[in-house]
Amino acid sequence: MSEIILETKGLGKSFGAFAANADIDFTVREGELRAVIGPNGAGKTTFFNLLSGVATATAGDIFFEGRRITPLGGPRRVALGIAKAFQTANLYPDETVLQNCRLAALARTQGSFAFEPFRPSRRLDEVDRIAHEALELVDMTALAGARAGDLSHGDKKRVDIAVAIATKPKILLLDEPVAGMSLEEVRKTDALIRGLAKRMTILLIEHDMTMIMGISDSITVLHQGKILAEGTPAEIRANQRVQEAYLGGHTEGHV
Amino acid sequence: MTVAGELRFYGLTILGLILFPFLIHPIGGYGGLATEVLIVGIGSVGFNLLLGYAGLLSYGQAMFYGVGAYVALLTVSRFFPDHPNFWLALALGVAFVTLMAFVIGMLVVRLYGIYFSLLTLAFAQMFFFIVFKWRDLTQGDDGLQGITVPAMGLGPWSIDLTTPFPALNLGPFGDLSDLHYWYAFAALVTLAVLAFMRALVRSQFGEVLGAIRDNEERSALIGFDPRRYKVAAFVIAGALTGLSGALRGLYDTSIAPDALTVETSGNFVIYTVIGGVKTLFGPLVGTGLIMYLQNVLSAKTDAWRLIEGLIFVAVIVFLPGGILGARRKSARAELAKAVSAKAGP
Repeated sequence: MSEIILETKGLGKSFGAFAANADIDFTVREGELRAVIGPNGAGKTTFFNLLSGVATATAGDIFFEGRRITPLGGPRRVALGIAKAFQTANLYPDETVLQNCRLAALARTQGSFAFEPFRPSRRLDEVDRIAHEALELVDMTALAGARAGDLSHGDKKRVDIAVAIATKPKILLLDEPVAGMSLEEVRKTDALIRGLAKRMTILLIEHDMTMIMGISDSITVLHQGKILAEGTPAEIRANQRVQEAYLGGHTEGHV
Repeated sequence: MTVAGELRFYGLTILGLILFPFLIHPIGGYGGLATEVLIVGIGSVGFNLLLGYAGLLSYGQAMFYGVGAYVALLTVSRFFPDHPNFWLALALGVAFVTLMAFVIGMLVVRLYGIYFSLLTLAFAQMFFFIVFKWRDLTQGDDGLQGITVPAMGLGPWSIDLTTPFPALNLGPFGDLSDLHYWYAFAALVTLAVLAFMRALVRSQFGEVLGAIRDNEERSALIGFDPRRYKVAAFVIAGALTGLSGALRGLYDTSIAPDALTVETSGNFVIYTVIGGVKTLFGPLVGTGLIMYLQNVLSAKTDAWRLIEGLIFVAVIVFLPGGILGARRKSARAELAKAVSAKAGP
């Protein structure tokens, strides 16, 4: 079995009396494609925010490649190799698709801060190479020169993934990568994620059960901020508690 | 960054700086005003890094301007009265303000939007009261007056910047002797500051700073540290505003606490917005226009404040990118039209 790349122990996040996440013991192995599912309000997005450093944990710890990263902020975690693609594509709308990826590649090559007041910005071969590579991976090279804000919803999300890839992550967090996509776009994104899974560890939140069941190596089910079940797609499908959680008042997402 | 582009920038800038004091003569301008415009304009150009390129509205820029002037004048009159040195005064003024901007910057970049602006304003008010109350050092509301500013040492030479140029009648453009060496010095510093800013905004640093301005959340999650970039911009803007203040103090040989008021901070905002944020020359143009109105128009009519206000409103409404920003936008619109015409049926 491969090495554990990401691990949480007793991880929790409370907003006042409300525990959005609690007692989460979670491990992902290198190369795995893990889905995190659960009804709305189960704490999936909070969990991703804790992992990516957008939010700070109020309990427990996070380890990445054996190193405790709990106190590190977002930029430091990206530098270590944790990248996130957003549920709603979060791009630089006025920049070109390529420039969106270039910025991510620049962060990877220069670090979180570099005072380079006299180095012209647009002459960095290494940065260009990484950016083009990322665009190729998501099959968006043809639109490299387009203004990011002008793209369709589906294309924006693919560029968002390319931006995350351009930071050269070891683990990629995908927050609902196919939400709001057409069937054709879902099919393309499904193929894209399968391709990416050969190169890096992937953690994804998704509601599209057909896709999840087909694509995942294993699934973690969150319910009311806690882990309800974990296992292979077949195990999760057969799990009585999971079915109850989904049927208990939530109609969205059928297992 | 082509050679032709570089030559064009330096050629036109130098030409503009040489012609500027003479071109304003027929409309009531004069050498002293031209010098002041450049000195204050240096501060506006620096401030634009913060307002335009980093998207941070500091409403306390006066603290850097005022403190820079006080430190420079105190250096020659109080700290080193036995060996007054022009360069040391300038250097200490800028160094002190740079340090100040670093400490304040670390605190203010934690806040966003209006809270950022209000905190910078609060710091500026604090410095205003320190200067106002610390009579032993600053002479309180009298300010420092009639300070003997030493000549500028330059290798074996010693240049008195108040020396006028030789007399030479230029017809409607006045007389060369209306200008002092101060103008030449201010023009050289202005050229250096413009060249620095031009390189800075086109650099890797400028690129990331713009990315953080446009989308801070995304920038943090691709691995940039927004706070450090914002502190760096705050420090550079502060240092250049401090340089502007130190030059103004040495030029005027005096400084009063007015320099640290909200009005001064507001002036930097107005100059920059009117001239054009995110443009290299905009802040300088805005500074020139408004200072011209303040100095020339105020002698002719009491309503000059009204005119200044009307111009500000007109620019905000009709030219939201500022005077130079509008020019750039129309150039871009023309380019877009040309491209679509080419691609058309």
